[in-house]
Amino acid sequence: MELFFQQLVNGLSLGGIYALIALGYTMVYGIIELINFAHGDVYTLGSFFSLAILTALGITSEMHGFPLVATILGVMAGAMVFCGIVGVLIERFAYRRLRNAPRLAPLITAIGVSFILENIMQLWQGPSPVPIPTFIPEASFAIGGVTIQVKQVFVVGLAVFMMIALQLFVYRTKLGKAMRATAQDRDAAQLMGIDINMTIALTFLIGSALAGSAGFVSGVYYGTTWFFNGFSAGLKAFTAAVLGGIGNLAGAMLGGFVIGLVEAFGAQYVSDQWTNVMVFSLLVLVLIFRPSGLLGESLPNKV
Amino acid sequence: MRSFPALARAISLAAAVAMLGTVMGAPVQAATTYKVAVDLPMSGADASNGIPTDNGVILAVEEANAKGLPGGIMLQHQVLDDAVQGVHDPAAGSQNVKTFVADPSVMGIVGPFNSNVARAEIPITNDAGLAQISPSNTNDGLTIGETAKALRQSHPDLITYFRVCTRDHYQGAAGAESAKKLGFKKMYIIDDNETYGKGLADVFEAAYKAGGGTVLGHDHLTKNQQDFKALLTKVKATSPDAVFFGGVTATGGGLLRKQMADVGLGTTPYIGGDGISDEEYLKIAGAQADGSYYTVAAPDIGMASAQAFNKAYQARFKQAPGAYSAAAYSAAWVIINAIADAQKSGGVTRPAVLKNIAGTKNMASPVGPVAFDKNGDTLNGVISFYKISGTPPKATFLNTVSIASL
Repeated sequence: MELFFQQLVNGLSLGGIYALIALGYTMVYGIIELINFAHGDVYTLGSFFSLAILTALGITSEMHGFPLVATILGVMAGAMVFCGIVGVLIERFAYRRLRNAPRLAPLITAIGVSFILENIMQLWQGPSPVPIPTFIPEASFAIGGVTIQVKQVFVVGLAVFMMIALQLFVYRTKLGKAMRATAQDRDAAQLMGIDINMTIALTFLIGSALAGSAGFVSGVYYGTTWFFNGFSAGLKAFTAAVLGGIGNLAGAMLGGFVIGLVEAFGAQYVSDQWTNVMVFSLLVLVLIFRPSGLLGESLPNKV
Repeated sequence: MRSFPALARAISLAAAVAMLGTVMGAPVQAATTYKVAVDLPMSGADASNGIPTDNGVILAVEEANAKGLPGGIMLQHQVLDDAVQGVHDPAAGSQNVKTFVADPSVMGIVGPFNSNVARAEIPITNDAGLAQISPSNTNDGLTIGETAKALRQSHPDLITYFRVCTRDHYQGAAGAESAKKLGFKKMYIIDDNETYGKGLADVFEAAYKAGGGTVLGHDHLTKNQQDFKALLTKVKATSPDAVFFGGVTATGGGLLRKQMADVGLGTTPYIGGDGISDEEYLKIAGAQADGSYYTVAAPDIGMASAQAFNKAYQARFKQAPGAYSAAAYSAAWVIINAIADAQKSGGVTRPAVLKNIAGTKNMASPVGPVAFDKNGDTLNGVISFYKISGTPPKATFLNTVSIASL
């Protein structure tokens, strides 16, 4: 039973990272119905930006107390800002002109942007995994034989915090209202005086910043990053978004955690090499019985 | 990204056709310059393996030219890269070998580095009758049994593929024996599900069981996997004395070791094959590399026969040789000697060179006396065993296991 709970912890922390990426996927899909395949690479970019900031600050060893907290928040904020800017630039130069084009065009463009980002990262940091300095102390605590690392709590906590903050933003603020309006009917929203370009850019900014925070967290959590990470993580996060009901924020979160748990329990009780099969079989099953995802139907407003 | 190899293939095909044209157009002269060709991964993560290995060949060719060869013939070194996007690629390797086959001055190839690339290349050199010597391939199926026969489609009885390192049958057994000596009674086995990694892990498992060890489980990783915590939690629950990994650093060998600490397996020893013998492993596993062991299917560069080579290498390249530099140097000398002998007895042709290589008898080399059996495998199999320890972790040579004892 201890093992079960240990895997629960593993699955939740892995799922937290998927969930953070899935939030951005689902937001962008919600507003312009584009599957932004470059999103996974923005996530990887987040970990590289974190590494670059840490290197620039000269941080190589463990820190404690206030400097530690300040560094965590500062580096994460930095990665989020950079990724947000990259996201806005991608939208401006790659997707905006294609907004009214047939749907296949932006989709292929997204794949192209993904390759461009991957190759830029490969040129920048090299084609092999890159270590990220461990500046957070390796602390852990045990509850009834189950070891929980502090960084695991951090991953899950951050994912839940971001989802709640995003939910509040979308449903409680004027800008959020503008986003929902744009998602529902772009032309009507424009007639009501909403700046469509600004609203969509804002969506990309927030979504990419979330990917940046996920990149930072995964860099800290695993202590390494790799230019190609975004490919499989992006695919899993996309699956999470679809599983939960694409366009639905709580759904993306739920999907992320479900996939993380399936992977962890799959590795424990079946076999590590079958985890991908189980994840995607689950996706197929859910789509057969609930075509709009787990939480897809319950919320009419998509963002 | 995916279209790039196709483009490269088209270009090199065009180049090959052009070359063929010049060959047919002009009568083949008794060229006095012959090429020792090299196919290795020369870019990306695999370059840390490829470049020092290629340097061994460069050194051999330069020494041969300086010394002078019979009939005034000269040698030239030519290397082609088989890495695509920084990772060794069988399609690129077979394309390189086709280029070499089309070049009449190529008398032998040193390479490839990776076993799955060799699988793609052997059918081509076998068809062309061009000799190829790998410094580092260890997979059993390349020379032994039905799988090897299937690779020699055109001429099932013609051996064109040789290797100067020994194969995984012995590497796995040496690993198992060393694990037993270290007192590891129960182990967990993980591999990367690739030609080399799974092959090595299976051999290790069989040898370890035969030696009285208990295998607690055997799992396979998924390609591009980054999170191994769930798997390692499962491993930890079986409380192994040590974990064996079959695979290379790039397919998870480094990350797996790094994440062992996260689940409380940080002090559990970790044993691998030559796939984790590179600098890259120390870089990725970081401080966690401490407590790892690995085997290499070549003699340690510290052994007596390699001293002269080490000095020459250091003088020429201003750095220490890589794990397979001496093997590549020896492989190049096998080809060079075969060319020289062919020149003395009737002329340098590919069949003559091939015959001389197969007939190599106890040639002295940095990796010990070189001779091949009927499958193209070396008769002088030596496995070196290393330990990684300290802060920062560094590899130290422990002992040599001769295949005669396995």
